[in-house]
Amino acid sequence: MDDVEKAILISFDESGAIDSELKLQAVNFCQKIKETPSICSLCIEKLCFCKLVQVQFWCLQALQEVIRVKYGSMSLEEKNFIRKSIFSIACLEGINDKMCVVLDSPAFIKNKLSQVLVTLIYFEYPLIWSSVFVDFLPHLSKGAVVIDMFSRLLNALDDELVSMDYPRTAEEVAVAGRVKDAMRNQCVPQIVRAWYDIVSMYRNTDPETCVTVLDCMRRYVSWIDIGLIVNDAFIPLLFELILVDGLLEQLRAAAAGCVLAVVSKRMDAHSKLSLLKSLQISRVFGLVSDDNDSDLVSAIAALITGYAVEVLECSKRVNTEDAKVISMELLDEVLPTVFYVMQNCEMDAAFSIVQFLSGYVATMKTHSSLQENQMLHISQILEVIRTQIRYDPMYRNNLDMVDMIGVEEESRMLEFRKDLFVLLRNVGRVAPEVTRIFIRNSLASAISSSSDKNAEEVEAALSLLYALGETMSDEAMRVGNGLLSELVTNLLSTRFPCHSNRLVALVYLETIARYMKFIQENVQCIPLVLAAFLDERGIHHPNIYVSRRASYLFMRIVKLLKSKLVPFIETILQSLQDVVARFTSMNLASREPAGSEDGAYVFEAIGLLIGMEDVSLEKQSDYLSSLLTPLCQQVEVTLMNAKALNPDESSLQLANIQQIIVAINALSKGFSERLVTSSRPAIGHMFKQTLDVLLQILVVFPKVEPLRTKVLSFIHRMVDTLGASVFPYLPKALEQLLAESEPKEMVGFLLLLNQLICKFSTLVRDILEEVFPTIAGRVFCAIQRVVDSSVTETNTEEIRELQELQKTLYTFLHVIATHDLSSVFLSPRSRDYLTSIMQLLLHTSCHHKDIVTRKACVQIFIKLIKDWCAKSSGEEKVPGFKSFIIETFATNCCLYSVLDKSFEFGDANTLVLFGEIVLAQKVMYEKFGDDFLVHFVSKGFPSPQNLAEQYCQKLKGNDIKALRSYYQSLIEHLRVQQNGSLVFR
Amino acid sequence: MALPNQQTVDYPSFKLVIVGDGGTGKTTFVKRHLTGEFEKKYEPTIGVEVHPLDFFTNCGKIRFYCWDTAGQEKFGGLRDGYYIHGQCAIIMFDVTARLTYKNVPTWHRDLCRVCENIPIVLCGNKVDVKNRQVKAKQVTFHRKKNLQYYEISAKSNYNFEKPFLYLARKLAGDPNLHFVESPALAPPEVHIDLAAQQQHEAELAAAASQPLPDDDDDAFE
Repeated sequence: MDDVEKAILISFDESGAIDSELKLQAVNFCQKIKETPSICSLCIEKLCFCKLVQVQFWCLQALQEVIRVKYGSMSLEEKNFIRKSIFSIACLEGINDKMCVVLDSPAFIKNKLSQVLVTLIYFEYPLIWSSVFVDFLPHLSKGAVVIDMFSRLLNALDDELVSMDYPRTAEEVAVAGRVKDAMRNQCVPQIVRAWYDIVSMYRNTDPETCVTVLDCMRRYVSWIDIGLIVNDAFIPLLFELILVDGLLEQLRAAAAGCVLAVVSKRMDAHSKLSLLKSLQISRVFGLVSDDNDSDLVSAIAALITGYAVEVLECSKRVNTEDAKVISMELLDEVLPTVFYVMQNCEMDAAFSIVQFLSGYVATMKTHSSLQENQMLHISQILEVIRTQIRYDPMYRNNLDMVDMIGVEEESRMLEFRKDLFVLLRNVGRVAPEVTRIFIRNSLASAISSSSDKNAEEVEAALSLLYALGETMSDEAMRVGNGLLSELVTNLLSTRFPCHSNRLVALVYLETIARYMKFIQENVQCIPLVLAAFLDERGIHHPNIYVSRRASYLFMRIVKLLKSKLVPFIETILQSLQDVVARFTSMNLASREPAGSEDGAYVFEAIGLLIGMEDVSLEKQSDYLSSLLTPLCQQVEVTLMNAKALNPDESSLQLANIQQIIVAINALSKGFSERLVTSSRPAIGHMFKQTLDVLLQILVVFPKVEPLRTKVLSFIHRMVDTLGASVFPYLPKALEQLLAESEPKEMVGFLLLLNQLICKFSTLVRDILEEVFPTIAGRVFCAIQRVVDSSVTETNTEEIRELQELQKTLYTFLHVIATHDLSSVFLSPRSRDYLTSIMQLLLHTSCHHKDIVTRKACVQIFIKLIKDWCAKSSGEEKVPGFKSFIIETFATNCCLYSVLDKSFEFGDANTLVLFGEIVLAQKVMYEKFGDDFLVHFVSKGFPSPQNLAEQYCQKLKGNDIKALRSYYQSLIEHLRVQQNGSLVFR
Repeated sequence: MALPNQQTVDYPSFKLVIVGDGGTGKTTFVKRHLTGEFEKKYEPTIGVEVHPLDFFTNCGKIRFYCWDTAGQEKFGGLRDGYYIHGQCAIIMFDVTARLTYKNVPTWHRDLCRVCENIPIVLCGNKVDVKNRQVKAKQVTFHRKKNLQYYEISAKSNYNFEKPFLYLARKLAGDPNLHFVESPALAPPEVHIDLAAQQQHEAELAAAASQPLPDDDDDAFE
C-alpha cells in the first residue's frame, strides 16, 4: 500500500481508532495530491489496480471534481485518456487478471463512476464524444453486470442533468436540451430496442436485471418518441409481465410503473384518448384484490389512479361528441376499481386518489343535473370518505388517554382528513341534498350501532357534520333550510352513549360551535347549547382536554350571543362557580398543576357577560369585585411574603400569580373604554386599583420573564380600557420595564410605547422625552450588531431577535414622527443621539433589504423636513439638518439608491417607496427652493442640459403624478446612459 | 463504528447521516440529546461531528451514530464520502428559509447515490419561529420519494424523538417498536405554545400601533 492509499484510508476511517492529528495530516495530504497535475492518471491507475473501495471512491470523486472544474484547461491527450479509460472500466474492456474489476465493487462506486461519465457527457456529447451511447450498446451482451452499469449511467444522466425535480441553472437546462435532442436523433431507438431484448431474454432467468432496466426506462418515457414503446411489441410485453402469475413481484410492479409512465406522457388529448382506450386497462383490475399489501398491488393501484386521472383530463379537453362519450365510458369503467382501491388497499396512492376524486367531482359542477350513474358515484364517494375518516376501535384507549400512540394516530388522521374534507366540500356543492341526507343517515346509524364501534362511528358522523358546516356560508346557515335545522336540532337534543369519549365530546362541542349562526337565529335552542357546554359534556367533562377546549368554545359562543344571554347570566355564573373558585380560593395546595392559560377563557366569557351595559351598575360591581378582590388579595399576599419563600414554594406561587394575571386580563376584555371611563367610572376605579397591585409585581420580581410578559399584556389592555386615566400609572411602569434591556424585552417595551403614541399622540410627549434617551442608548448599541453581522447571513436566534428589534425600532421612530412628536428627538437629553439616528435612517432608507422599512424611513425624513425647516431662510431650528438633507439624503437616497439596478420598478412595494422618494423631492423643493434644486441637478444630471430643465419644470408644477412618471423615465434613461455604473459618484 | 476513546457497544448501532443546507439546525438538533452531547467528539479536521445517541426501546437499547456533516464545504473534506456505509438518514431544512427546502431534492439524490434504499426522514426544522416561509402543505417532496416527514423544533424539543423512532422501526423491521423511556434532552429554550401565545399578544399590540396603510391607491398607475 503506498502513501496515497494509506492517507485515503485514514481520512475515511470510521472506526475511531485513529488519532485526529494524524487524520488531519492525511486529509491535507490527499488535498495536496488532488492539486498535482498528474492527478487524473493517478486516479485511473488506482482505479485499475487498487481494490480498496475507499480508494476507488476517492479517485472517482477527485476525477469528477477535476473534470468539472478544470475541463477547459485540460490538454487533448489528457481528455482522450480519461474518456477512454473510464469508458473501458464501465464496459469491462481490456481487463487482464492483474487488474481489478470496478464493476464488481459496491453500488456506490458504480454510481460514482456513472457520475464521472455524466460529467464527461456534459462537456463532450454530442460534439466531441458522439459515440458514447452507441459504443456502449454492443457491450450489453456481456451480461447483467454491464447492463446494470448502463442503466446506472442512464439513471445518473436523468438525475444529474435531465430531470426537472432538481434546481437547475439555465446553462444546465440548455445542455440537457442539447443532449436529449442528440440522443433522440442518434440512439434512442437502439436503446429502446436493447431494453426490449434484455427484458425478453432475461425475464425468467434474471428478473432483477429486468427490474433495473424497466425502472430506468420508466424515467425516459416522458421525453422519447412514445411510438417506440406504444406498439405491438412492447405494450403486449409489459402487460404480459404484469399479468403472468408467478413472475417476480417487483418485475410485475416495474412493468406497471412503465405503463403508468406511458399513460402519464403529455400529449394531445385525442391521441391520448385512443392510447388509453387501446391499453384495455381493465385487464389489470383483478390484481388489486389479490393480496392487498404487496408491492404489486401498490403499483397497480398507482397505475389505475394515474389512468383515471388521465381519462378525466381527456374528458375535459376533447371536443368531439364521440370522444366525450368514449372518455365517459372509460371513466365509468375505471371508477369502481378506484373506489375499491381506496377502501381496501393500504397504499400511498390514497392522496392522489382523493385529488382525482376532487377533480372528478369538480367536473360535475358544470353539469346542470346529475345523471343516475353520477349520483351513484357521488354516494360511493361519500361512503369512501366516511370509511376513511373513521378511527380504528383498536386505538380507542390510546386516543382517550392521549398517550404516544394516540397522539400519533390522531395527528395522522388530522392530516389525512384535510384532503378528504376538501373532497366532501366539493361533493356538498355538487349534490347538497344527497350529502345532507347521507350525513343524517350516518348519524342515525352511528347511534344505533353496536358499542364495540359506536364511538368511532359517532365521531366520524359528527366530523362529517362539522366539515359540512365548514363549507356553508353564514347566510345559508342562518336561513337553515329544512334538513339543516333537523340536523342541528337532532345534534342538540341527542344524548350520545359515548359522550365520555374524548374525541366524541370534542367534536360534539366543535360542531355545535360551528353551527352558531343557526342558533343565533333560533334562540329557543340556547338553553340546550348552554347545557351542553356547562354540564359534564363540556366545561365539567372529566377529561381535562375536553374541558379546556369547552372553555374556549364557550367564550366564542358568549362573544357571539352575548346580548341574547342576559337572562341566563345568573345561571351561567352559578354553573361556573366551582371553576372560578379554583382561582379565587387561597388554598393553593388543593389545585392541580395547570398551564398558565388555563381558565383564561372562562374568565373572558364571564367578563363579556358581566361587562355588558344591560347589567345594572350595582350587579356589575358586585360581580366584578367578587372576582377581582380575592384575586388581587392573593397577589398581594405573595408579594408580601416573596422574600420568605423557598424555591419550591416560590415557583408554585409565581405560577399562581401568572394564572391570576392572565385571568384578570381575560376578564377585563369584556369591559369597554366607554363604560369604564365615562358611563361607570366606579368600575374604572376597580381596574385602576388592580393595575396598582399588578404593577407591584414588576418591583418585587423584576427578573421573572413570564411574569413580566403577562403584566405587560395587562398594561396594554389597561391603556386600551382606561384611556388617558392610565397616565398616572405609566412612569412607574415604564421605569420598571426599562430595567431589562435584552432585545426581546426591548421589543415588548417599544410595542407598548407605540401603542401609547398611536392612542394619545402628543399627550405622551413628556413621558416619551423621559424614556427616549435611555432607549436610544441601548437600542443603537444592540442594532449595531445586526449591521455588523448582515454580511454573513446567519440565521441564528440572536440575529433574528435583533432584526425583530430593528424592525420595531423603525416602527417606533415612524410613529413618533407621524404623530407630531419629532421634537422628542431634539430634547436636550436626546440631542446626543440625533446624529446616530439620522445616519441610521439614512443608511436604512438607501440600503435596507426590506422595501417597506425603507419607505418608512423616507416618510420619517419627509416629516422631519416639514417639522424642522422653515420656508424662509431665517435661523435654522436644527443647525446642520438642512445641509445634511440637501447634500446627503437627497443625493444618496433620492438619486443613487434609485439608480441602482436592484431598485425594481416592477415591484409594487418598490413603486410605493419610489412615490415617497418623489414626494420627498417635492417637499425639499418647497422648503429649500433653489438651494436644493441646484445641488441636486448638479449631482444628478450632468448632461444634457434639457433633462435638468425638464426636471425643474415638473418639480415646480403641481402635478405630483406627472413628476413621478417623469422622474421614473429619467432614472431609466440615466441607467442606460451610465450602463449600470455610478459614474458621477 | 465508534470514535476515539469511545467504547464500542454490545447493542445494535447504526450509522445515521444528517444532511441539509448550512444553518438549518442539524447540529442544534443532535445536541439536544444530552448523552450524545456528553460523549460527542468533535473532529474539526474532517469537518464532521459524530454523536452517539442512545435510545431505549421495548426491544432493548439501540444507538445511532449521528454523522453531523456540518461545515463540510469549508473543510474540503470528503463530502458524499461521509455517507458511505450510512444505514439511515435525516435530511433537514429550515421552514423559515425557502431555499433550504428547494435544495432538499439535491441532498436526497446525493445521499441515494451513495446509500441505496436506506430509510430517510425529512425534517422541517424551526417550526417555532413565527415567520415561516415554507408552510406545511407546501412540503410535498416526501410524497414523491416515499420518505417520512416531520416538523420539528430543535429549540423546543418539539418532535425530537419522532425521526429516531421512525428510523428505528424501519431498521428493526418492526412497526410496533416504541421507546420505553425518554432520552434526557436539554431543556427547551422556547416553549412552542407559550411562544405562539406571546406572538399572538405581540401581534395584537403591534397591529394596534401600526400606522394606517398609505392612502396611495394610485401606486400601480
